[in-house]
Amino acid sequence: MDLFLQLLFTGIGIGAVYALVALGFVLIFRATNVVNFAQGEFSMVAAYLMVVFAVDLHWPYWLSFLCALAGMALLGVIFNLGVYYPLRHRSFLPVIIATIGASILMANSVLAIYGPQPQVLEGWFETPGIQLGPVYLDSQYLLIIAVTVALVIFNYWFFERTMLGKKLQATSQDKEMASLLGISVSSMIMITFIYSAVLGGLAGILVAPVLFVSIQMGSTIALKAFAATIIGGFGDVAGAVVGGLALGIIETFGAAYISVPYKDGFAFLVLIFFLVFRPQGIFGERVAEKA
Amino acid sequence: MKLTRRDFAAGLAVGITAPYVIGSAARAQGATIKIGMCVPVTGPAAEQGLWAQNGAKLALAAVNKAGGVLGKQVELVIEDDQTTNPGIVLAFSKLAAQSDIVGFLGSIRSTQVHAMAPDVLKLGKPVMIGGTDPNLTHMGNQWLFRFRPNDSYSGRVIADYGVKTLGKKKWAIVHSTDAFGTAGGKALASALEALGSPAVLDQGYANQSQDFTPVVLAVKQSGADVLGTYFTFENDLGIFARQLRQLGVTIPWVGSPSVVAVSSTKLAGPALFGTFGVADYAEDSSDASKAFGKIYRDAYKTAPDNQSAWPYDAITVLSAAINKAGSTEPVKIREAILALKKFPGAEGEYNFDANGDGLHGYNVVKNEKGTIAFDKHIEFND
Repeated sequence: MDLFLQLLFTGIGIGAVYALVALGFVLIFRATNVVNFAQGEFSMVAAYLMVVFAVDLHWPYWLSFLCALAGMALLGVIFNLGVYYPLRHRSFLPVIIATIGASILMANSVLAIYGPQPQVLEGWFETPGIQLGPVYLDSQYLLIIAVTVALVIFNYWFFERTMLGKKLQATSQDKEMASLLGISVSSMIMITFIYSAVLGGLAGILVAPVLFVSIQMGSTIALKAFAATIIGGFGDVAGAVVGGLALGIIETFGAAYISVPYKDGFAFLVLIFFLVFRPQGIFGERVAEKA
Repeated sequence: MKLTRRDFAAGLAVGITAPYVIGSAARAQGATIKIGMCVPVTGPAAEQGLWAQNGAKLALAAVNKAGGVLGKQVELVIEDDQTTNPGIVLAFSKLAAQSDIVGFLGSIRSTQVHAMAPDVLKLGKPVMIGGTDPNLTHMGNQWLFRFRPNDSYSGRVIADYGVKTLGKKKWAIVHSTDAFGTAGGKALASALEALGSPAVLDQGYANQSQDFTPVVLAVKQSGADVLGTYFTFENDLGIFARQLRQLGVTIPWVGSPSVVAVSSTKLAGPALFGTFGVADYAEDSSDASKAFGKIYRDAYKTAPDNQSAWPYDAITVLSAAINKAGSTEPVKIREAILALKKFPGAEGEYNFDANGDGLHGYNVVKNEKGTIAFDKHIEFND
């Protein structure tokens, strides 16, 4: 039972990281019908910004955090204007390729500026974790889980209870109709990119104390987050969270009880299962609303 | 002036062919001796690639300062292997296409050396390697020369130190599932069986894991009283070390060289304090090691490790061998390398055997609150 509880906590913690990045995938997909393959690099860039502000410049952690998120908002604007906007009238394929190109550009730019050395970023708390009976709770994972829960609640409130959220939803469901109703579609898409970049950045900053800050950190997480998005259902916020948590738990338990070397294999087996038997994911894409 | 289509075509032809004409003239003059180097500039081992370039460049500067090779300055041609097997095959093929390159530096990663080995055999020029899978120099490829002791030695030293010096009998082995980790894990398991203490756990893991909780819990449940490891990437080792300590596993740990690498020490911090490692490079192990440590620190303001030491030795030995051979003919260089005996290097004293293995022993070092302290050197005669 002790082993089970420890694995469950770790699985939820890792799954929450996937869920945070998956949220960014979903939001951009809903708004633009395009998968942003640079979402993982948003996490990496934000983590490096934190290293620059908190470690190199010795700014207070909270100030570094706010500045890093502001930097990510700016990156979201640049990304929208430089990558998506010029190709917005083209089919989804050129846009997807452009996002892959942008991810390579971001990774190599950081490599050129900061060098290849992985960096250590301390967490929010001085205490690395707490022992609760037989289970060790890593404080950073606790924070990640708490932030994920808070973001789920915030997203629900934002998209269902605020006018801006409803405008964003309307844009994602039918851009022409939204435009006819007086909604500025380009502004809504810009806001979506900013929000997704900030979400990706938040994931990167939160996970950096656990995984270290490296050029590869984004792509490693993004691959799993992408799988989580498919499992949960592309286009569904709740699906991204459920998919992320499910993936984290499945791979952790699979590794512990079946085989550690095939840990990644379990995650992708589940992905293949969903692609074959339920391609719309657990929650399904709301195709009817888009038709 | 009007530019005709014919003028444009002629200009284009001159533009395209000029570099080759000029280049071949320069090559004909043979102004420099070229050495090719496949190294990760990008990918997960880009940091180690930087250390490797640092070591190689220090050796190059020393060789050139001492008069170069065959009276010419030595030039290093670097290609990015992207830390992948396809990447190193591509990088090596690019370098191999340059006929004026006389020798090469391959990878420290055994899996990459396996990937490039068929092309090395086809080319027939000497390639210096740092990969420690024992098979690399035992598969009939006469052009591979190893500048680190192989894992048949590291496994024996880890087992010997843990069993005889630390007095521990119940071993848990954790290793990556790539060529390096698998071969290392096997070597350690065999050495432990030979000492009458077979491992109670042999646990592999895939590189680039984000979480090691299942591995740590397996170690905990095995009841082991000592841990032996073969980690390929320092990032993985850092995450594992932290989780190991967080989940309350405090048994002694004797690891392969990555456990005492500069990056691991920095990333894992206190989680690695008190661990033991077998290290091919230990600064206090010899005068040559101390000398390398000093020039490296002076040049780069940081401590060296095996990532920079083996390329330093590889350039030094290759240059010395070409000078001794008096020729850049591959066969003569090979014979000259194999004839080198008691050659002092940063990694140790080189005595090449017929297989191309230059070193036959390991140092044991300890992480004393972040400082890597030399304990002893164990040398083998086989």
